Amino acid sequence: MMSQKQKLRELRRQDTDRLMSFIGRFSVHFALIFFSLCCLIPLIIIISASFTDEIALTREGYTLFPSMFSTRAYELIFKNPRAIIQAYAVTIFVTVVGTVIALTLMSLLAYALSRKEFVLRKPLSFFVFFTMLFNGGIVPYYILMTQYLRVQDTLFALLLPYFVVVFYVLILRTYFAALPEELFDAARVDGAGEWRIFFSIVLPLAKPALATIGLFTALNYWNDWTTSLYFIRDSDLYPLQYLLYIIQSNARAMQIQSSVGNITVGDVPTQSARMAMAVLATGPAAVFFLFFQRYLIRGITLGSFK
Amino acid sequence: MYAVFFKRKFTQVVLMAMVLCLTFSWIPQPQVSAQDLPRLVYIYPGSPQQDQAVVQEAMSAYMAERIGATIELRPVDWGAYNDQIGLINASGEQYDIAFTAPWINNYYSNVTEEYFIPLDDLLQEYAPNYWASMTPETWEAARVGGSIYGAINQQIFVKPFGPYIRTDVLEALGLVEQFEAITSYEDLLPILATIQEFADQDDVLTQATYNLAPLNYAENWGYDPIAVELVVDTTDATAQVQIYSQTEAYRKASQLIRDWYVAGYSPSDVAVWDEMDAAWTAGLYAVRVSDIVKPGGNAEVAARWGWEVTSVAIAEPVLTTAGVIATLNGVSYTSEYPELAVAFLELLNTDPVFYNMLSKGLEGIHWEWEDQEALLIRPANGAASFADTGYNPNTDWMFGNVFNAYYTDITQVGAWPETAELNRNARPSPILGFTFDSASVATQIASVSAVIQEFGSPMGSGLIDVDEGIARLQEELQNAGIETIREEMQRQIDEWLANR
Repeated sequence: MMSQKQKLRELRRQDTDRLMSFIGRFSVHFALIFFSLCCLIPLIIIISASFTDEIALTREGYTLFPSMFSTRAYELIFKNPRAIIQAYAVTIFVTVVGTVIALTLMSLLAYALSRKEFVLRKPLSFFVFFTMLFNGGIVPYYILMTQYLRVQDTLFALLLPYFVVVFYVLILRTYFAALPEELFDAARVDGAGEWRIFFSIVLPLAKPALATIGLFTALNYWNDWTTSLYFIRDSDLYPLQYLLYIIQSNARAMQIQSSVGNITVGDVPTQSARMAMAVLATGPAAVFFLFFQRYLIRGITLGSFK
Repeated sequence: MYAVFFKRKFTQVVLMAMVLCLTFSWIPQPQVSAQDLPRLVYIYPGSPQQDQAVVQEAMSAYMAERIGATIELRPVDWGAYNDQIGLINASGEQYDIAFTAPWINNYYSNVTEEYFIPLDDLLQEYAPNYWASMTPETWEAARVGGSIYGAINQQIFVKPFGPYIRTDVLEALGLVEQFEAITSYEDLLPILATIQEFADQDDVLTQATYNLAPLNYAENWGYDPIAVELVVDTTDATAQVQIYSQTEAYRKASQLIRDWYVAGYSPSDVAVWDEMDAAWTAGLYAVRVSDIVKPGGNAEVAARWGWEVTSVAIAEPVLTTAGVIATLNGVSYTSEYPELAVAFLELLNTDPVFYNMLSKGLEGIHWEWEDQEALLIRPANGAASFADTGYNPNTDWMFGNVFNAYYTDITQVGAWPETAELNRNARPSPILGFTFDSASVATQIASVSAVIQEFGSPMGSGLIDVDEGIARLQEELQNAGIETIREEMQRQIDEWLANR
């Protein structure tokens, strides 16, 4: 039997617990809200700047809401939209084609590596995973691409580097290896060949893994600009992110020049135009990401062992 | 049974692999040049131009007759130039000529890495007119470790700094004559004060001036900056290396900056410096306190940012290494025809017709004569500006002797001979042609640079008291090891002077 005193103490303890958990929850929420604001505010500022009048932007700086609304930056860009449309076409082509090919290659490779009866499993695994730890570095990479494969200034140069990303192969292999062996035996008894097992049984079961890896690969292709920096000189083949990079860094390079002094060059794109370019280039990627987010969250735990 | 299955599977894998290999080994073949003449490749920074192919063809035809070679132009976007040329050099990709300078595609590291070939003999043999067009002292500036590795583009070599002021403001306040008569930065004070008073009442104009830091440039006060705050007084024939912030000039300049900042002539927010040009365009201030004043400079500033300006040169023009080699073209170690590459440079630097093809485009397609006598051109076929003609790299100084460039603005006419005169009459720095080899003091340079970075903005904007600022800067510089660098530099200069 609990005495009155004990009961009271118990109650008080519950109160403190509740308070503590409230403080805990509050601080966690506060931290999360703070973090999301840190991510969101720069984005909002960019969008706002892209809609701000150029002179107002110089005079009043960046603000959360346009201090003087203007769509001039977008008009400027869409007056000659060829570059940006071309860049979108290149990026979309590379992302779609690249992701399909990369997924096919990586899942085939990962599946082979996951099968215990595959005779060359060990040497092939070594061959694949060795590259994760050691690589030749940028200059040999450049020499290989330009002097042996001769893919510079072609779309193929943009596709090739992400066809097989070893880390993703590792994730897929782990996933495939976790599928019960009995399934394959049953299929084999029913007369299925290797190809049929792969396409009709393994792939459907691996959908979440494929979606995750597909998303990662697509983002890789979408966001990639370094490959173009090294291998693309033809401005018709500039992907979106690279076009954006070029616009921003050209402006920077021109600033360096003016500081050198005795030389001058043409127009530096206005600040609001640069921001408008950034909005046009990142917008669709953000939507794409929202759409695939649920696969991403489910997929994040995939590589781990259960 | 299993063996059969396995075999079939194995065959399939091999087949798959072969198919994949075939897919990967499909590669576009390199194009074979239709012409038999050697083709030179010229790589330089610049945005790709719509009519580049047309210009390239015309240049090739012109060259073929004269030096028996054709040209391939390979502009690389400004932002990508450093990365791409770095990879091209490191991988040994074949090309002939590339633009280089201390500020992009670094000339000195290219020389250290042996990416460029020495040009001394080649220039004298295959580019005699070009070689003779500049004095031997000028060529000295491009010498590194005894040899010349970069072909100098003739342009304004000196840096006669001085203030630029918006003509409309000067006229509104009746200050034109007073401004044109100034001989020192101190004389600028009453003008600044009047303009600030005016700005306080004006809606758009917020400040008399903006970035005061250029006042502190060593060239403004007759010093030749070598590296990291170390300078040589250009009137000192023995070339004693001094720490710039210890000089009287530095204190004087810093005091001016401080006084003007305290008086409210410049904005208090240093972070806005990057937007200086945008603020000028927006009309927020009226005085560019220290910029290079050169013949045709007013027209250039007006064309670029849209305000008519008046300027007065204050700094004495001095020929320094940095000024002379601001723009160079180097010949690659991978070039198969170095003689032809140098002959190409000869043509580019001495033949106005050829040079203007590359820098302005083709007559009748991109430009036409406005006044052939005065060498003045206008956009062809009624185009509104040169930017609308399909070829307008707008970087004359990159390709060769700018004194051969056609004028594009009536107010520029006659600027080139004047500039050439300015170069010729400039007093050479006692260390013209000396380059500092910083390898042995790299650590100290890194820490000294960090100190300069830290103090540069507050001192350049007048945020801190001069005496206190200089004292602290001195202390930090000493701790960072500037004395070691100074001694090493002096040793190299003495050695260089003795061997000259």
